[in-house]
Amino acid sequence: MGKYTEISSLPDAIARNVKEHRVTRSLRRAPRVYTDTTDFTSIDYGDIIQVEDRYFLITAYTKEGRFGVDDQVKQWVPKVEDLASGVPYIVKLVFHETFDIHLGQFIIPCYRSPEKEARVLELVQGRPHFMQGEILLDTAGNLVRVITPVNGNRLDKVIQRSERAHEAYFFEELPDILARFLDAMQAISFLHAHGFRHGDIRRDHVFVDRYTGVFHWIDFDYDFYLPEKPFALDLLELGNILIYLTGKGDYNPRELLADPKLGDTVLQTIAPSDFSLIAQNRIVNLRKIFPYIPEKLNNILLHFSLGTEVFYETVEEIHHDLSDALHELSR
Amino acid sequence: MEWKKIIIAIDDSPRSFNAVEYVGSLLGQREDVVLCLLHIYPEPPPDYYRSGASLDDYRKEQEQKARRLFDRAEAILSRHGVAAAVITSRCLMADHKSISAAILDMQVREHFGTIVVGKRGIPKAEEFLFGSISNALVHTGKDIAVWVIG
Repeated sequence: MGKYTEISSLPDAIARNVKEHRVTRSLRRAPRVYTDTTDFTSIDYGDIIQVEDRYFLITAYTKEGRFGVDDQVKQWVPKVEDLASGVPYIVKLVFHETFDIHLGQFIIPCYRSPEKEARVLELVQGRPHFMQGEILLDTAGNLVRVITPVNGNRLDKVIQRSERAHEAYFFEELPDILARFLDAMQAISFLHAHGFRHGDIRRDHVFVDRYTGVFHWIDFDYDFYLPEKPFALDLLELGNILIYLTGKGDYNPRELLADPKLGDTVLQTIAPSDFSLIAQNRIVNLRKIFPYIPEKLNNILLHFSLGTEVFYETVEEIHHDLSDALHELSR
Repeated sequence: MEWKKIIIAIDDSPRSFNAVEYVGSLLGQREDVVLCLLHIYPEPPPDYYRSGASLDDYRKEQEQKARRLFDRAEAILSRHGVAAAVITSRCLMADHKSISAAILDMQVREHFGTIVVGKRGIPKAEEFLFGSISNALVHTGKDIAVWVIG
């Protein structure tokens, strides 16, 4: 159990806010005040994290569905309220872990690195397209990242909300989506230019601002170790998002067969070279499913297929090709 | 360009030693060449320091490994009649760059005209994710000869 103090140790105004808060009023124990967050598993709902004269009351926890398991609570990432200002934040506490991710037949070592995320947050301060946060140090020297939540929705949920059939989505919605995705790509290029990887590019790690529609990247604490191709995984995942946006979803043979408009007739046209270079049951050559996808756009997708002879080496290369394709699509 | 100033880039793969054999068999009795056995190692993985080890520890570890590679390569060259006087060796870390970029940096900095490297022959997907040093040298190197030995 980590060391804590009672709320009597807090300044009067803050202690009063704690007592009057809806979270602590419903709590059946006294809230605890932590200045050392090393043992984050001891810190719970209704407790206060005191760091550099800021006081954060834990009001909930973030959750994440991954590896086929839904809604796992991330105990090192509580949702909090600043007890002085009443502003909600997400706090990320130090949690180091090393694990392997399996990509097709390959295993890539990955690392959760609070230090890397802190450096990225400092680098991207004030830049659109990135979640924003400040770095505070607790009494044990842990990097506590205080994140301003993006007011918006996950990109995948925004895409799936569209009720249009693919063709209407493709011509009426996608050009605008791709224009915004291009800006988000440039943001990743900015990270790479400064020697950082995003590390965990996924369609649910893009949040779409509710008011401006701007795409914001979130979660920079993953890092991976690919010494000869340091940005390859980011590039691959950018390609996966582009394939997802273009198709308004992912397609594998089972999904094709399940769709009465596509079915076996389309599946018969799919060759081994049409599948993803890495996720080998995902169809990348979407033009075979949706023949109105222009060749220029489809050719970008094919760079991520088993049939490709050339790879994108930089984000700029994809950005250049996608700008071209979008220009054609918007005409 | 000094074509006879040759880098043999090696790691612990059998292909690397094929490359050394190739150079030895080709240039065995010549004294008008300069051969540099070069071993470039990557930066330590992100969690390396968490065990309490330092960058110096990592460098020492890598240099010891490199010494064993150099001994083996020098023995091969010697067997082919390459004079010890024309052989040097270097072990460097790819500091904030890829291994292929570090090889090319040294080639440019020290005016080498030829790079010899082994080729693993990897599938496309592996090349996309993990890279191919030989391909990178061929595509990125300028005004040099790159010998890729399969």
